[in-house]
Amino acid sequence: MFSTDDTIVAVATPPGRGGLGVVRLSGPSAESIARRLVGRADPLRQRHATLARVREIPDVVTSRTIDEVVLTWFAAPHSYTGEDVVELSGHGSPVLIERIVELAIREGARQAEPGEFTFRAYLNGRMDLVQAEAVADLIHAVTPAQARVAMDQMDGTLTQEIRRVGDQLFGVIAKCEASLDFPDEGFHFFEAGELRSALNQVAAALDKLLSTSSAGRLLREGCVVVLSGRPNTGKSSLFNALLGRNRAIVTEVAGTTRDLISERVDFHGVPVTLVDTAGIRQSADPIELLGVKLAHEAVNAAEINVVVVDGSQPLTQDDRAVLAASAHSRQIVVVNKCDQPQAWAPATGAWAEESVVTSTVDGVGLDALKRRIVGEIADEGTARDTPTLTNIRHIGLIESARQAVDRAIAALGAGATEELLLIDLHDARGQLEEVTGRRTIDDVLRHIFSSFCIGK
Amino acid sequence: MTTPEFDVVVVGAGHAGAEAAWAAARMGARVGLCTLSPDTVALMPCNPAIGGTAKGHLVREIDALGGLMGLAIDATGIQFKLLNRSRGPAVWSPRAQADKKRYGAWVRDRLSGEPNITWFFRRAASIRLEGGAVSGLDFEDGGSVSCRSLVITTGTFLNGLVHIGDEQRPAGRFGELPTKVLADSLHGFGFEMGRLKTGTPPRLDRRSIDFSKFTEEHGDDPIVPFSFLSRRSDLAGRAQISCHTLHTGDLSHALVRENINKSPLYNGQIQGIGPRYCPSFEDKVMRFPDKERHQIFLEPEGVDVDEIYVNGLSMSLPRVAQEQIVRALPGLEQAVVIRHGYAVEYDFVQPTELRASLETKRVPGLFLAGQINGTSGYEEAAAQGLIAGINATLGSRSDPPFVIGRDEGYIGILVDDLVTQGCLEPYRMFTSRAEHRLVLRIDNADVRLTSRGRAIGLVDDARWGLFERRTDRLQWNRQLAETSKVSVRSTTMRVAQAIARPDISFAEVVSAGVEFETDDQFVDVDLATIEAEFRYQGYLKRHYAQLQRVRSQSSHVIPPSFSYRGIPGLSTEVVERLNTVRPTTIGQAGRIPGVTPAALAIVAARVVNTRAEH
Repeated sequence: MFSTDDTIVAVATPPGRGGLGVVRLSGPSAESIARRLVGRADPLRQRHATLARVREIPDVVTSRTIDEVVLTWFAAPHSYTGEDVVELSGHGSPVLIERIVELAIREGARQAEPGEFTFRAYLNGRMDLVQAEAVADLIHAVTPAQARVAMDQMDGTLTQEIRRVGDQLFGVIAKCEASLDFPDEGFHFFEAGELRSALNQVAAALDKLLSTSSAGRLLREGCVVVLSGRPNTGKSSLFNALLGRNRAIVTEVAGTTRDLISERVDFHGVPVTLVDTAGIRQSADPIELLGVKLAHEAVNAAEINVVVVDGSQPLTQDDRAVLAASAHSRQIVVVNKCDQPQAWAPATGAWAEESVVTSTVDGVGLDALKRRIVGEIADEGTARDTPTLTNIRHIGLIESARQAVDRAIAALGAGATEELLLIDLHDARGQLEEVTGRRTIDDVLRHIFSSFCIGK
Repeated sequence: MTTPEFDVVVVGAGHAGAEAAWAAARMGARVGLCTLSPDTVALMPCNPAIGGTAKGHLVREIDALGGLMGLAIDATGIQFKLLNRSRGPAVWSPRAQADKKRYGAWVRDRLSGEPNITWFFRRAASIRLEGGAVSGLDFEDGGSVSCRSLVITTGTFLNGLVHIGDEQRPAGRFGELPTKVLADSLHGFGFEMGRLKTGTPPRLDRRSIDFSKFTEEHGDDPIVPFSFLSRRSDLAGRAQISCHTLHTGDLSHALVRENINKSPLYNGQIQGIGPRYCPSFEDKVMRFPDKERHQIFLEPEGVDVDEIYVNGLSMSLPRVAQEQIVRALPGLEQAVVIRHGYAVEYDFVQPTELRASLETKRVPGLFLAGQINGTSGYEEAAAQGLIAGINATLGSRSDPPFVIGRDEGYIGILVDDLVTQGCLEPYRMFTSRAEHRLVLRIDNADVRLTSRGRAIGLVDDARWGLFERRTDRLQWNRQLAETSKVSVRSTTMRVAQAIARPDISFAEVVSAGVEFETDDQFVDVDLATIEAEFRYQGYLKRHYAQLQRVRSQSSHVIPPSFSYRGIPGLSTEVVERLNTVRPTTIGQAGRIPGVTPAALAIVAARVVNTRAEH
């Protein structure tokens, strides 16, 4: 269930709309968090627009300005949610807006679940109900299980890794609990120094997650649009054409692109991270295989997949495999090389009528493709449930877990005993289980009884 | 309508029944106490000990409310230990070996001294109803009594079946006939019932044991008592017995494996589910084949009896195999088995049939406590007995029920877990079940609960007077810690800060010259509370902030008439679970297994909405 007493934050405007981006904070600390974001000591005035700068490090005037924003404080109960609400309007770049959200989380807010503002408004009687069915659907769409599925689709390895660290932590917790509840079992659950090294391992694993999560890296850079396809369908040419300059090397030789090439680009005011990938096919060349593996990862992490097929060649098994590989995400099919004689009619597939026909030789269809990408980003129906948000939330959870483990390590160093360490360890467990699914104290006990022969 | 003969009738005088009758009588109810024999009052059919981690907490809470168990064990304990002393005060827990005979006699005498209690040494039969609610109890040998509330605490007696190897005989405890008619009566009400199993080890003759082969275990000196009423001087000079430890080995393990198909646990003879945390010796050997040895404790059952309890060797193998296994252990080669170990299967009522008052939802006026609710352990039984006795009394006066929150006491956790989650195996308390572990300590059980016991008339003037003086000292000491300074390790700091430092022991702070106000007779508790409050201060601050959140969230009350049927988005399974438990708050609903966060949000939204409409 949503907690309803903390302060939540999220982008309130759909992404991709140029001009204005609004970050909304709601909850008891909304006003104080907002003030900390802009480094302001005086209270805000109610229902009064205040101009301020959000900086990378709020209190330090010399630190980089992220955006100039207008803050408005709506005190409870006269607000959208019925709680204290502060809205920060910035200049609309989704990247900057998301950065403000991240800073607010750092200051103590929690990333709102999709639908959570509405839920609070509803609980506080600020909304005419919204049919119960609609609310049910809304809430259903944000169960941890579904968030998990979204996560799995986006980057299965990341979830697996979080689960692995979670299991590691769970094992430590079970042993600590067993030490407290079974003090006279005649053996030690932890030998001297073992607990410290176990905690350090968990901390290192969390650090690794934070530093190497490719999803995390890509997602900080805006909406990720990945060009994929079998070799030689003209992805790199299309990439260069969309960029407006020659960034990727283009040759006639299939398999030229071996690495991921990513560039920031602006389509009609919407920032996009455009990623060119190696052609996906079976290959014996280990270096090419490495490129194919990277391509698959990019496809999995993409928010929008642009699959490029060659209109001058019949569709191959490889084409179909690439299409299937990105079917989970929002997908745009591009039929490229329309300047050459076409080998097949684009009406032969179910997706065909929605495909975009392009040629990089004479520039046909490029603008249509850009508009199509922007349209997908701005599509309000799905925008708030995009993996981007979920993922920022997950990264935040892992960061909180890391901090909790750190507190436990520090406490252990200072001589604290298990009952204190467990406060922080259960806290860390709770953060990770937001991603991997909840476990109960009975699961802890079950683990203890199946791992150790305990009891008289 | 004629006035019933009794306000409260209690069936069973074990640890649950004794507390129930005591609480009701002390609260001024006219109590009928029905049990088979005066010799089995507060009997300990299994291990001769009270307390242990989390269980010791329960005893302190029972005592803080005005119950019996803490005083009984302080009066008759023969070895006392404070467990977990190397850790912080939140997980310290008292445990004591009891002299079984004296313990039972002490409780019986206390109950006999209560003018409000009338004894019936008879076997209970059917429960009488009038208009669907309890009106009285029939006895098996004819006759009946009328009452407003009825508390059933029949332990393992409901259709009890004892197993030793392939021997099976109906019995509640070995050699005592089970309760069948009462079981039928409960089945007849349509309660969801299940079958559990528990077991006990063989008892040996002290004179046949070579104690020189074992490690000796002594009690603590000075003794930390269970009861807030017990003075240091009451326990000073108490003669304490020793326990002994030894280990099993290859030979005994091989014997188990050889005989395993004769074990009713392994050949399908027993269907009931046993406790994981108290595995039989068969389970230890079969489930942990890599473990080369298991620890065994030899515990005397009393000062002047020759029975030795073999803790850790619970089994239900045939008698001959039991004797072979015992004699395979070093020091027990000549041991004489006085009583053999056995397993007992019994019926229990799924506790989701109960309200938090321990009154059944189906039959108003009927309360259940102890093993009948799926728990194991004397302390768990006593805690429920106390709550059932209190609520049976309050119910007979149409007063609102007495419920302890999960953040107020282990008793609250116990009851909430039972009525919310039900039992799949015998339920035992652990400190890990307490999400508020740092708050729920043995030292502050009185601070948490004594005023609540006072409010319902269970805490008498003597206890209340001690408590008031103790609270005065506590206030004074808090102030002292916050305001005065102390020099430890050549650094001067506030006393509170010094206590909070994990690298400085509390003893070090005290010996640096801080003059806390203590009563010599209650010095342990006085100092423990101060140590705990300041040692945990940082964590407690965070904790209380969290608690505030949880409370406001979980205190959303679900009206009793609330209907889960027809709510879109709730699965049939979830609706069924909610209808079985009928949670009273959103918080409780969230603890029901299978109720997902999404389902909970839907229910919360509906509850708020329903309230808004009215």
